[in-house]
Amino acid sequence: MSGLAGFRYLKRRRITTLVLILTLASALFSMMAFSLVGFYGGFIAYMGGGEDIVVLYDKGSSTPFTGLVPAYLAERIGVLEGVLASSPEAIAPCIIDGRAVFVRGVVPKEFAKLTKLKIMDGEMLQLNDTYSMIVGKRLARTLGLKPGDKVLVFSVLRDQYVELHVKGVYESGSVMDDEALAPLYVGQWLRGADYGHVTLIRFRIDKGAISPVRIFDEVAKEAEEPAPGRGEPSQQQPPGQPIIPRITARFTVERIGVEEAQRFMKSYMERYGVTREALITLSALVFLFSGTSIVAASRSIVAQHRGEIEVLRSIGASKKLVKRDLLVKLLPWSIVSSSAGVTAASVVMVFIHENGYLQVLSHTVQFQPDPLIIAINFILSIVLVALGVIRSELG
Amino acid sequence: MALVLGCKMLFRRGGTAAFISAVALLIAIPASTNSIYNSISYQTQVIGELVNLGRTYLILSADSRALTDSQVERILASRFVGLGSIDYVLPQRVLVADLATGSGSYTAYIRGVEDVGSFLKTRRAYLNGAIAKGWAEANIGEILARALSIGLQDEVDLAVGDRQVRVKVVGVYRSQTQSDAELLVPIETANILAANNHTVSLIELSLKEGVDSHEALSQITKLLPENVKLVQPQQLREFTQQMNTQTLVFLNVWSLAVYAAVAAASHIAVMKLITESSYELAMLRALGARKHHIYTTVLAYTMATALLGSILGIALGTAGAQVVSTILRWIHRGIELSPFMEPRQALQIVFLALASSVLGCLYPAFKTARVRYVEQPL
Repeated sequence: MSGLAGFRYLKRRRITTLVLILTLASALFSMMAFSLVGFYGGFIAYMGGGEDIVVLYDKGSSTPFTGLVPAYLAERIGVLEGVLASSPEAIAPCIIDGRAVFVRGVVPKEFAKLTKLKIMDGEMLQLNDTYSMIVGKRLARTLGLKPGDKVLVFSVLRDQYVELHVKGVYESGSVMDDEALAPLYVGQWLRGADYGHVTLIRFRIDKGAISPVRIFDEVAKEAEEPAPGRGEPSQQQPPGQPIIPRITARFTVERIGVEEAQRFMKSYMERYGVTREALITLSALVFLFSGTSIVAASRSIVAQHRGEIEVLRSIGASKKLVKRDLLVKLLPWSIVSSSAGVTAASVVMVFIHENGYLQVLSHTVQFQPDPLIIAINFILSIVLVALGVIRSELG
Repeated sequence: MALVLGCKMLFRRGGTAAFISAVALLIAIPASTNSIYNSISYQTQVIGELVNLGRTYLILSADSRALTDSQVERILASRFVGLGSIDYVLPQRVLVADLATGSGSYTAYIRGVEDVGSFLKTRRAYLNGAIAKGWAEANIGEILARALSIGLQDEVDLAVGDRQVRVKVVGVYRSQTQSDAELLVPIETANILAANNHTVSLIELSLKEGVDSHEALSQITKLLPENVKLVQPQQLREFTQQMNTQTLVFLNVWSLAVYAAVAAASHIAVMKLITESSYELAMLRALGARKHHIYTTVLAYTMATALLGSILGIALGTAGAQVVSTILRWIHRGIELSPFMEPRQALQIVFLALASSVLGCLYPAFKTARVRYVEQPL
């Protein structure tokens, strides 16, 4: 007996259960993996993608949002050859209309050189828009905001409140669509920082002309310079004076870190043991936890077809041949089920992402289909079904 | 008796341990995620309590979304002046006005306060110049001064509608608050512009240090009319609560798929059990067991195994999360996670596991109950 391909003894109705459990297990794994990897990917890209974005940050802070670095370094480093843009940013956790939101104080002209913003409604922010902010499209949708609206923004870190007008709604295609952007000094008020400090400074560099190491060397030279006084409010404001007082704050170089943006975010995550590989492994473990059910379903199919299998055995089919035939017939179903599971998970994740239902730290979890996750899905499905068939007793 | 016999018969089947394991492993997922969430939530709460919360509160009109939309009776402020728990009471009027200088006309925020000096003191502001005293004097925030190139002794015209006032800037201050983008005037000046002496935009209160805030707030709330609201500017607790809720939702999205998988696992296990126990079930029917006996037996078996599986799964998930967090702590010293499970959550997980299992077994149980004892399902 060369093969059993011509024998159609598997009842489609009985295979349904295996298909169902495989689809569910695949969907569970895919949803978990996509959401975890999406959160990770969104967080890593938070400071900007590409190797030409460098971040100057406070090494002593436990999160990217809570450190403080001297603001004047933006100007000082910004004049170096090879530095194409320099964006000081003050990130403040706030409450707007009862909702947790991050407000980012920026110098709009410099910020726009690092992060592409498309104004969908209203106008772009300027540094002298003292009472204005622009909001990301997802935040605008969540809070029902449009240009012209007024809101009270309450700080989380200080006893501060600010009334701001919505000047525009922007789209960035990133997690910043869940944030609001305001002039730098507004971010400093809400963050509780003085005009001499910001949360971090981002630079866009020409990698051929300058490197993060060179920038750090310049920062180290600045640290050795004694800082002049705090800077009192000046009596006379000549025209063209920068709107934000320039304060040269003293600092120690040990507290300052300079790194490529993505590596900077990855290092924060790694402090807590969170890596892309760890997250995918965790999701795979979850799939394996459902493995008992998948193996049981495979064995159940064999048990349900005991009669047919006994007929095949009685006409000369060996156990090995029957098992091989079962594998050949069931594995395509496992591929179909895995595909259905991945598709279902993708649809759910797209829906969740578009509507901003799933958030971590007030930022929508990004949906990032990952070929590795899809491949692991198929491999695990095939392996578990095969295991169930091979370990079945055929009598 | 028939139920007990039927259950004993089904429990003796080889697949029971595998079914309990399958449910346990699936339930371990939400159990571990919930226990990790509890740890993170607890730490966030502890960190939140370490932060010194501000003692400032604002009284605004109940329906207002912004300061400039709010109108509160000015006389309300006098109710709080005598309270021992209050450090200061500052009624303020905030207006949007047209500000004209030598270089042009701009829109600016004007804040009128009863005592400009006290206001600047509460903001811990640095002042260059003098405190504005009369209605024709003003202090200007440094940001606004820089934006409009206004300096000491400059005169500016303020206009709201058809009401105009000319003031002289006698001081430039820096407070690191929104007031740095405002013109600060005595409240009389703001009242002239608003043509209204009776209402203010907000009343700012501050509690004395060391005062029991709950008791003080209770006293204050009793004195408030219904058309106002009391707001604390520093909303740390609301922020951390929302962060925790977001984390919980993130973790619970997977729970939906987990419980669906539990229902499917239950369905498979019961189908397999029924297939393998067809002879015994047929014997029970032959001995007089009715359809509902068979149905109840299968349901009871499913519920018992799901209960055992979910209890085992909760233990496995919680213990597993604790082991992993201990290992992570050895590898990365900065990580401090102590997963734990709350009884309420454990009961919820058990209930959902039971419900999912019962849902999964309903169809096979119903189908088996309807089969006549001479028939074999093909």
